[in-house]
Amino acid sequence: MKEILVWAELRDGRLTGVALEIMKKALDLATLSGGRVSAVAIGRECRESAAELVAHGAERVFVVEDARLDLYQADAFTKILCRLIGEIRPGIVLMGGTSVGADLAPAVAARLGTGLTAHCTDLRIEAIEGLDQLVMVVPGWRGNMMVKIVCPEKRPVMATIRPGVMERGRPEPSREGEIVAVSPDIDEKDFRARTLERVRESEESALEQAKIIVSGGFGFYEAGGVALLDQLARALGAVTAGSRPACDAGWVPESRMIGQSGRTVSPDLFISIGASGAPHYTTGFAKSKLIVAIDKNPKAPVFDIADFGVAGDLKEIIPALVEELEAKE
Amino acid sequence: MPLNILVCIKQVPDPEQFDRITLDPATGSINRAGIPPVTNPVDRHAVEEALRIREASGGTVAVLTMGPPQARKCLEDALAMGADRGVLLCDMAFAGADTLATAAVLAAGIRSAGDFDLVLCGNESVDGATGQVPAQLAEALGWPRVTYARKIEIAKEAATALVEREIEEGFLRVEVRLPAVIAVVKRINRYRLPTIFGILEAGKKEIIEVGCAACECAGLVAEAMGLAGSPTRVAGVFQSHRKRHVEMIGGEPKEAARGLIRKLKEMDAL
Amino acid sequence: MFEFTKEQEMIRAMVREFADTELAPKALELDRKGEFPYELVKKIGALGIIGVASPREYGGSKAGHLPAVIAVEEIARVYPSLAFILEVTQAPLYMLENYGTPEQKQTWLPPIIRGEKIAAVAATEPTGGSDLATLNTTAVADGDGYVLNGRKVYITNGSVGDIVLVLAKTGERASILALEKGTPGFIVSRRQDLMGFKSGDVCELGFSNCRIPKKNVIGKEGGGQAVAMATFTVSRAAVGAVGLGIARGAFEIALKYAKERMLYGKPIAGLQAIQFMLVDMDTEIDAARWLIYHPAACLDRGMLPRDIGKLSARAKYIGGEVAASVTMKAMQVLGGYGVSPEYHLARLLADAVEIFPATGTPQIMKIIQALEIVK
Ligand SMILES: Cc1cc2nc3c(=O)[nH]c(=O)nc-3n(C[C@H](O)[C@H](O)[C@H](O)COP(=O)(O)OP(=O)(O)OC[C@H]3O[C@@H](n4cnc5c(N)ncnc54)[C@H](O)[C@@H]3O)c2cc1C
Ligand SMILES: Cc1cc2nc3c(=O)[nH]c(=O)nc-3n(C[C@H](O)[C@H](O)[C@H](O)COP(=O)(O)OP(=O)(O)OC[C@H]3O[C@@H](n4cnc5c(N)ncnc54)[C@H](O)[C@@H]3O)c2cc1C
Ligand SMILES: Cc1cc2nc3c(=O)[nH]c(=O)nc-3n(C[C@H](O)[C@H](O)[C@H](O)COP(=O)(O)OP(=O)(O)OC[C@H]3O[C@@H](n4cnc5c(N)ncnc54)[C@H](O)[C@@H]3O)c2cc1C
Repeated sequence: MKEILVWAELRDGRLTGVALEIMKKALDLATLSGGRVSAVAIGRECRESAAELVAHGAERVFVVEDARLDLYQADAFTKILCRLIGEIRPGIVLMGGTSVGADLAPAVAARLGTGLTAHCTDLRIEAIEGLDQLVMVVPGWRGNMMVKIVCPEKRPVMATIRPGVMERGRPEPSREGEIVAVSPDIDEKDFRARTLERVRESEESALEQAKIIVSGGFGFYEAGGVALLDQLARALGAVTAGSRPACDAGWVPESRMIGQSGRTVSPDLFISIGASGAPHYTTGFAKSKLIVAIDKNPKAPVFDIADFGVAGDLKEIIPALVEELEAKE
Repeated sequence: MPLNILVCIKQVPDPEQFDRITLDPATGSINRAGIPPVTNPVDRHAVEEALRIREASGGTVAVLTMGPPQARKCLEDALAMGADRGVLLCDMAFAGADTLATAAVLAAGIRSAGDFDLVLCGNESVDGATGQVPAQLAEALGWPRVTYARKIEIAKEAATALVEREIEEGFLRVEVRLPAVIAVVKRINRYRLPTIFGILEAGKKEIIEVGCAACECAGLVAEAMGLAGSPTRVAGVFQSHRKRHVEMIGGEPKEAARGLIRKLKEMDAL
Repeated sequence: MFEFTKEQEMIRAMVREFADTELAPKALELDRKGEFPYELVKKIGALGIIGVASPREYGGSKAGHLPAVIAVEEIARVYPSLAFILEVTQAPLYMLENYGTPEQKQTWLPPIIRGEKIAAVAATEPTGGSDLATLNTTAVADGDGYVLNGRKVYITNGSVGDIVLVLAKTGERASILALEKGTPGFIVSRRQDLMGFKSGDVCELGFSNCRIPKKNVIGKEGGGQAVAMATFTVSRAAVGAVGLGIARGAFEIALKYAKERMLYGKPIAGLQAIQFMLVDMDTEIDAARWLIYHPAACLDRGMLPRDIGKLSARAKYIGGEVAASVTMKAMQVLGGYGVSPEYHLARLLADAVEIFPATGTPQIMKIIQALEIVK
């Protein structure tokens, strides 16, 4: 388990947030087990990102640069990663569970014939049957049961981690590391599935970056939609999100669904309004610094995980909040 | 060009009743007694997509599942929707599989069931919910893959498919050579319900059973199946409590709003 | 106890999913506005639900009478108005299928089964629905057709119907005549504003010298009473199923509420008085269920309408009883919320009590049963 390899995903030539979140976790694990952290970045141009990874604790960064790898290419990325893992033989490989990582990681694991654990919320080293093993914790069935998964024999042990689940570390510019250029060594055969272009549909500010998130649930039904939620978001400078029923109703785009089947976020302030607080939903924001819940049912379970609660009708509370916020300016 | 399509579907406990599932923390075993099994919801969209492709370009649709004998039910439901035949991968040797062993057996089953141009999957199950099987199945078959597909267009000569593949804040346009594995998301279509006529006809369609022996014939060794072929293990189960103490802010809406904003300012959150 | 076949279970599951996903979100609003659910009728047509018992050559799937009862029950659970429309449509279908000429079948059955055309049966008159022997509506032979005069009340699908099968005197005896929408002199006098089945269409119809061609007689001239009796015998079991569905819908609401409503710090489902009501509802529903499935199952086994007179009268009777009784108990479980429109029970109760008169009053049902018991 000495070497931990982190696949650091790039988007638009820049490191994704989850890559840095995993770096921190990898570093903690390496400190515990006396190992070291390497990272691999694949893309058109990766040097800047490589430096950033070093600042976040990577002792070695493998950069695989090629103009053809600007967008995610499933076959080529799989081949490159498998070859690199074969060469450096890490004990652990950690990858971000983005929609790209969720495609790449299982293919790599299958080609290497090793185990992969999805959507880990925690990684720890524990002694099991006398051996130090990487224990991967995943939410099972209901969000309040956690399952520990291990991979006792095959190496490397592989895991994906959803964005927003782990904390990001601080960069330390004083850290030093080696940057190793790796030739991609790919040809036409490695583009059986070829990504032609990336189409952006919404320039929404990413949920993961938001300091404040206001999230609406099915309770907006009576209000005929989430216009009120948008108003509050504007007044707070917040980003909007929603529970599954709110997305099903088309009020909030699916990409902003909070919860087990959606996004996990941990902003400074999360305000949940008109959502009852099913564990599937709350698991998506339970780690926020501060949680406020507003619901007309004072017994709604959402209050159990909130720091502050207001029991009342959102049709009255939201306008009052907006008025209050705007008055102060 | 007609296509032979196979759709992988999984039987899962009804997600609406997940709160009745209990885990025995001592043994780590999952008790789901009394919860009716259903077809993994997104897999119904995969079946629908296959039927639409067949309606547009001709060909056949087979449905396949790996599971206990009761999993035959989800095949029957897909046949009622309009699929042509079913394949049930059922053997004690398949039990206890993680995603790697699942994908290996699915691939062997697919090989033994015929020649296919396209394999469709759901992107993720609601129970295991790893979303790992489709990509691993593609590896086991030696085929390319596209996951998170929200739109599939088959090119005229059926040599490639053009896929819109969701990613965060948009989508990728991917051209994939067939045969391939494509995993779909729910928004790809609205699935049809079976008609009553379809339900009555389903009983006349064939469901073949494939066991360990047939998978071995298709080139898979028994050690790669089920628990034996699974590199991951469940090491334990525990309860996670994380209760905060809520402070309720009362009063008329105006008062409550003022009170809340004051609190948030005190906490430096605004 | 009988067992359902795999296909019957699949039909139930399909209709239930359709009801939960497509009907539940629209039912309340359509009922509130009193709007006829044309689109939903087409949808149940496309799924094969209207023609569930009809012959395949006309687009039906010939699954049987029991599946028809199951479909009506599952729809009534969330949207009784539509279940009632479906149930009522089984009557003209039965008449056409069993007594129609090949030409009549070819013309009318396929569009009705697809849900594109709507059919009604008009028997009841202002002078008394129970006494169908005393008919005042007449169809007098005239050249190559009949001239129809008279008045009918409580005719379901009366204004939306494209074809109305009218029971009228042709001489001494009665006949069934197919009257098509748009026939001059066919007047929808009013849509009757009843307490329930709010998006259904129950109308008073007037006929003033309507000309009906001879080829529109269903069955033999003069054989109308017999056709009507056989048809109502068959359709009664399905009316019972509307009641069964309503009862189940009400029970589900009560059970969910009892588990969620907290009093004295605990859910009221823990109170024995509430449990007793829930137990009674559950028992009544199961008792009624088998009585309601019975006549349809007999028909599917090849019995004829005349063999099941008592069974179907009983099924219809118990359907009304269970719907009203369970709905009222459910309302009590909910306390004050039982009568609040948000919880739908008031609407279900209004629908439930409309079952009493429809296709024959409870008293008439008992008379039919008594005929067999005391004979
Ligand atoms: C709480 C929990 C956590 C788990 N975590 C892991 C883990 O981290 N790593 C791991 O390797 N295993 C894990 N498993 C085991 C895993 O669920 C099983 O291997 C399962 O057989 C397939 O995985 P899945 O349900 O996640 O499928 P997914 O990959 O989510 O399924 C995607 C699609 O693959 C197809 N598919 C999947 N299974 C079948 C099937 N049996 N028959 C036909 N088609 C199928 C369907 O089209 C489905 O929509 C976990 C199980 C549980 C209950
Ligand atoms: C496998 C699985 C995965 C799932 N994944 C997710 C997931 O990722 N994310 C997710 O969100 N859900 C998920 N769900 C669904 C989840 O179980 C709940 O059903 C869902 O979160 C409920 O959403 P809600 O709170 O918005 O709606 P409801 O539970 O209907 O709650 C609405 C709330 O609004 C309140 N309300 C109503 N009117 C007003 C008003 N005028 N003013 C104030 N309050 C009002 C009500 O009191 C109630 O508390 C999943 C379910 C399953 C089975
Ligand atoms: C929602 C709804 C939909 C309907 N749809 C149709 C339709 O589509 N087509 C159609 O033709 N009709 C339809 N009807 C009419 C229905 O068939 C009649 O209402 C029913 O037959 C009773 O007739 P009536 O209302 O004239 O009551 P009456 O016949 O006047 O009965 C009055 C009372 O006398 C009792 N009674 C009658 N005879 C006896 C007896 N011999 N012994 C003891 N008591 C007796 C009855 O039980 C009742 O209590 C519908 C009615 C309703 C409510």
